[in-house]
Amino acid sequence: MSAPAADFQEGHVETDGFRIRYMQAGQGAPLVHLHGAGGLRLTPAHDLLAQRFRVVAFEMPGFGLSPENTKTRSMPELASTMARAAQALGLDTFNLMGTSFGGKTALWLALQAPQRVPALVLEAPAAIRPEGTEPPSGTPEEMARRLYAHPERLPALPAVDPAVRAKTQALVQRLRGPARDADLEGKLSTLATPTLVLFGTLDRVIPPAMGRIYKDLIPGCHLVFVYDAGHSIGAERPQAFVEVAGDFFERHEAFVVSRAETVIHP
Amino acid sequence: MKVSFFETARYRAPQALPSEWPVPSGAYDPEAGARAYRDMIARLEYVEELGFDWVSVSEHHYSPRILTPAPIVSASFIAAHLKKIKIALLGPIVPQSNPVRVAEEIAMLDTLAQGRLVVGLLRGTTNEYLTYDLNPSEARERTDEGMELILRAWAEPQPFGWQGRHFQYRTVSIWPRPLQQPHPPTYALGTSRESCDFAARNHLGCGVSYGSFESVGRATRYYREQCAHYGWTPTPEQIVYRANMLLAETDDEAEAQFRQLPNQRPFTMRPGVTDALNKLDSRNIAGQSRAPIVGGALPTTFVGGPDTVVEQVRRCRDEVGAGVLDLSLHPPGSGDLDPLMRALDLFGTKVLPRIRDI
Repeated sequence: MSAPAADFQEGHVETDGFRIRYMQAGQGAPLVHLHGAGGLRLTPAHDLLAQRFRVVAFEMPGFGLSPENTKTRSMPELASTMARAAQALGLDTFNLMGTSFGGKTALWLALQAPQRVPALVLEAPAAIRPEGTEPPSGTPEEMARRLYAHPERLPALPAVDPAVRAKTQALVQRLRGPARDADLEGKLSTLATPTLVLFGTLDRVIPPAMGRIYKDLIPGCHLVFVYDAGHSIGAERPQAFVEVAGDFFERHEAFVVSRAETVIHP
Repeated sequence: MKVSFFETARYRAPQALPSEWPVPSGAYDPEAGARAYRDMIARLEYVEELGFDWVSVSEHHYSPRILTPAPIVSASFIAAHLKKIKIALLGPIVPQSNPVRVAEEIAMLDTLAQGRLVVGLLRGTTNEYLTYDLNPSEARERTDEGMELILRAWAEPQPFGWQGRHFQYRTVSIWPRPLQQPHPPTYALGTSRESCDFAARNHLGCGVSYGSFESVGRATRYYREQCAHYGWTPTPEQIVYRANMLLAETDDEAEAQFRQLPNQRPFTMRPGVTDALNKLDSRNIAGQSRAPIVGGALPTTFVGGPDTVVEQVRRCRDEVGAGVLDLSLHPPGSGDLDPLMRALDLFGTKVLPRIRDI
């Protein structure tokens, strides 16, 4: 597997009093990515998506290299900050992809600004969880065992600075909301954005069976299982992930119609 | 101990057949085929009457030896003619099937048969990969993925897509679902570490076949260890052992018949083909490598009069842990029905009643 993110360029944008870092690559329709509770980590999926879209992967305020965020009080507030950050980059409309924790942010963003989001892809979203689910934590090895179905096949995760971890965990606990968030779930029936929910069949953070609840709640929601992937689908099965996510961004619900060609010898 | 009768349709060729696999279709006699299937139903009515718990069918191609290339068809036909016995579909060869289709067919048949279906999913014997041009080196992965997709298709209440390595679907939502919920009793068939792991991880039964008690016992021991690892204990009925049995009135008679068994391979294949298959296929028993079986003769595990066979069954229970015996009485390829019916009779009257409480 090639090193990810070779072509991604770093940038910063000022929004709501935050200086928000982002990584950007590619041409075409804009695609905004909101990361999971562990912060922004570019994967080979970002590279593949950047071959088809202009990918903007934000580091949400309070994660990673950014200063501690004590200001944002709720997930809807974080979502509106991210919507304004995209606006500040000139992105009036943009495809939106949210991973895990960022899946919930993305759902709120799509609810707040439906006209700006033509399509939404949620990678192992953490908006609906069994009671008691905690984000992965611990040593890089412990993290990898939660995030990946086959950690032995992937490069080791980098060690996380304890200070970064402490400030991030506090933020995640404050913003992630309850396992079943009545406020959010009550609004999902009004979500008209074409939405694709993806779960790895071996997700050890959020059970893939949560996927069916999104389908119950969101009209026109699609659910796809990525075989033999864990929680971090884009890292573990990047081609499989990008093939279906990219197809959905381009074709929305028509993505169910196969265009695979099976002619062997014309 | 529960018992299952392995039904192979017992085609009787009116003239000598070529011995090489694939056997030319032109050598098939349609009338003999029709008679074989007619006789099959008459035989199975007797099997049911004797008190067998299951009748099992398998998938084999391009040969008269086991005349059930489409086991779902055999199973459906049998289910329609018999009333009480369970139908064990052992099973579709998963790597060369459409897993969604398999899930649909099994759900439909379980419902048609009013919940009398038992299911075994497997990778298939090596020569079968020639049937539909399957690369043997991909068979293992396609089996694992296909089995997982079948289980998902039975269980998932919402339409879903599947982004696999070997299978891809955007819309899966099967009707009917199985009558037996969440699904019929299901076995992963095979002695390999991968198969036992899959069964343990998914709370399925484990099916082993033909090897000695010692070798299949290694596989079932590994399976039980893996089940313990996943926090559950399989019931005896979740281990099924398929074997050949040569039963006669006395040990001497059985031994004499055993010596007369034609010691020929079920079929032969061209050496270049066999070599190429062996190179691309890798097999193991609980992780310990073994050679693929391409057209090899299958051992007869149980040989003797009733007393001896009852003792052998007891040993099988102790050493293999099997709670279901899936038996081929008399060699499967044989169209010689008289000895088969005598063995069946003997088994039903002199053996079956004595192994119930083993």
